[in-house]
Amino acid sequence: MSLSRRDLLKIGVVGGAACTLPAVAAAKEHAVTAPPNAVGMLYDSTKCIGCKSCVVACAQANNLVPDTTLDSIHQAPNDLNAHTKNIIKLYKGEGANAKEYAFVKRQCMHCLDPFCAAACPFNALEKDPQTGVVSWTPDRCIGCRYCQIACPYEIPKFEWDAFNARVVKCEFCGQRLAKNQEPACTFVCPTHAVIFGRRDVLLNEAHKRVKNSPGKYWNDHVFGETEGGGTQVLYLSHVAYNKLGLPSLPADEHPGRWMRYSEIAQKWFLLPIAIYVGIVAKLKENFREHEVEMNEEHKKTGLIPQI
Amino acid sequence: MSIATQSQSDLTVVRWQRGVPVFGVPVRTRNFYFLLALTVVGFVLVIYRQVAGLGAATGLSDGFAWGIWKTFNVMTLTALGSGSFPIGIAAWLFHKRRLHAVMRTTLLISLLVYFTGLLAIAVDVGRPWNVYNFFDIFRWNTMSPMWEVLWCMPLYCLFPLFLENTPPVLEQAYYFFPPIRGLVVWLVPIIRMTYPYVVALAYTLPMMHQSALGGLMLMAGTQVQALWQTPLLPLLYMWAAAWIGVATTIGAMMLSCTAWKLPMDQSILDELVELMLKLIKWWVIVRLADIVIRAIFLGQFFKMLTPWYLPMLFLAEMLLIAIPAWRLQRPEVRNNHYQLWMNCFYIVLGGLGYRFDPTTFAYRHWSRTYYTPAIAEILISLGFISFCIIAYTAAVKRLPILPAPVEQWYESEHYYKKIYPYIQLSGHGNENQYRPHYAD
Repeated sequence: MSLSRRDLLKIGVVGGAACTLPAVAAAKEHAVTAPPNAVGMLYDSTKCIGCKSCVVACAQANNLVPDTTLDSIHQAPNDLNAHTKNIIKLYKGEGANAKEYAFVKRQCMHCLDPFCAAACPFNALEKDPQTGVVSWTPDRCIGCRYCQIACPYEIPKFEWDAFNARVVKCEFCGQRLAKNQEPACTFVCPTHAVIFGRRDVLLNEAHKRVKNSPGKYWNDHVFGETEGGGTQVLYLSHVAYNKLGLPSLPADEHPGRWMRYSEIAQKWFLLPIAIYVGIVAKLKENFREHEVEMNEEHKKTGLIPQI
Repeated sequence: MSIATQSQSDLTVVRWQRGVPVFGVPVRTRNFYFLLALTVVGFVLVIYRQVAGLGAATGLSDGFAWGIWKTFNVMTLTALGSGSFPIGIAAWLFHKRRLHAVMRTTLLISLLVYFTGLLAIAVDVGRPWNVYNFFDIFRWNTMSPMWEVLWCMPLYCLFPLFLENTPPVLEQAYYFFPPIRGLVVWLVPIIRMTYPYVVALAYTLPMMHQSALGGLMLMAGTQVQALWQTPLLPLLYMWAAAWIGVATTIGAMMLSCTAWKLPMDQSILDELVELMLKLIKWWVIVRLADIVIRAIFLGQFFKMLTPWYLPMLFLAEMLLIAIPAWRLQRPEVRNNHYQLWMNCFYIVLGGLGYRFDPTTFAYRHWSRTYYTPAIAEILISLGFISFCIIAYTAAVKRLPILPAPVEQWYESEHYYKKIYPYIQLSGHGNENQYRPHYAD
């Protein structure tokens, strides 16, 4: 078989096009949809009294060891960490807004298209196809911490002190859901600031609240409806969401947006295989020429040829 | 041209023809022992990290989950060892025959850099006992760039790259260890038969995992500043690795030749520079076009300017790449060894900067957590690098790797005959056994 450089190029272009065109077509219709039975939480910052009952209930329900980050006071972490899957934080205004304040419950958002699950090499972090809960399987995790790099909400936490380190994040009280109980935090909330339900129902409820009291909520916007393709934990607040530490992600900011083009190259490894086959074909021909040349050299000098 | 000047020019023009061991130079020098000490310290600290855990041994935190092991040793430094695939492709597929002379050197650099990169991943991984998941096909997430890095890098290092590095070892065994000759003579035709398949794999795999290394930061989305974050990141990362690798090869060849007073073949260095400049030229064009398109048409211009120090960093790395590349176009700069080496050094620096910045400086620049590598972290990283250096120096002094004129080969025979009287490096009686099978 003799192949010219042009033939090689043809093989590459045709092969590449043949395997990438369907992928390009597939890449365009990368829409994010909610799982059929997506569960959700709706947190209304205007109703929250900051009692931290949910933090305690979460620690109890998930058997988390007491957090002793601060001296002389326990269970008072300043952020999510390896012993805290759920936390109530306080936003305080500055300058002209000095009197403004708001509580915010930070936990895993359970994105509709989660970055962490897309990043995880061995599917240790997985989104349940029915409920949409993103949970972590210990024996699949190799501890590469890519989920921490990828998550735009900075939610997954790593147990840095432990020998057998775990990735810690809210898993929607999976053990309670299995027993038909709602998550511990929504169960104990005294003011119903955070409520549990189906995502579509909660989204309607949030829209109803916005409609009933126009101007109460910031920009009449429900955080989590479209952010990063949508999340299953929804927020309502009277202050801007980025003041609460929730990043303002565009609606198309999900793994599909960034990986669209590399997915094309990676799909079924068709492109690498096409490249490999092309190179082998060309190499075999050149290799034979090279051997002939090497042999002449050998005859001339009497030295054993080097590969 | 008179006959006299012609012979004069023949004498002065050096041609790299064969790999020859750097003979007559001791392996165990003072620098060797210093680097060996650093290596030992590094490897002892690896044990400490395994026992004490990641938190105790490193400066990592939830805000900065990846430290220098991943961002520097793996994502940045492996570019140094990527010279073998662009040079190999130029030599084998584009008929740049002369470049075969530097293949052994660049393959050795690749092997060492990738091997220590793999060690760095192994040290960095927090739950190493779960690596058995590699072999469980039902747990694979093949769309994750991390999966591709974790599979592709060991595969490349342990299979094609390893096999490509066996010929110098076999050759040396053939000459210096007669009992093994039969085995070598039996092995060589097999190696030759499989060579095209292995070599093609050695070009495909680095393209795959070098682009996957760029893909790693792609998944961080808008958390990476807009000057660096682009859907083209995998392509640019792989492409940058190609010319950084070539520049490293030039630099390493020149350093070796200077250190051990070996002659330099300017024509091959010129060819390498040409290859590098071609790669850099189009890389810079694509990189700038991508930025301009995103700034103007996708409205990311102001995002690119904040915070103020990142555009400066971008400018610094681009100038470090573009100015030396511009200067190297002139033959008088290329022919000056000092200028050539310094310009390659700046290019490598700029390229490494391009690969390092999106992982650290341009990543979550709003974050209030700072990452300072712990001393143990730095020492382990340094230990891996010093391991590379001592393994390289030891290998080129013992194995026929660095290219030299054929006279050097005869000189080495003369030298080795004093120590091993039985060896014969030229004029063999059994050449025919070793001669390759080839099509008529």
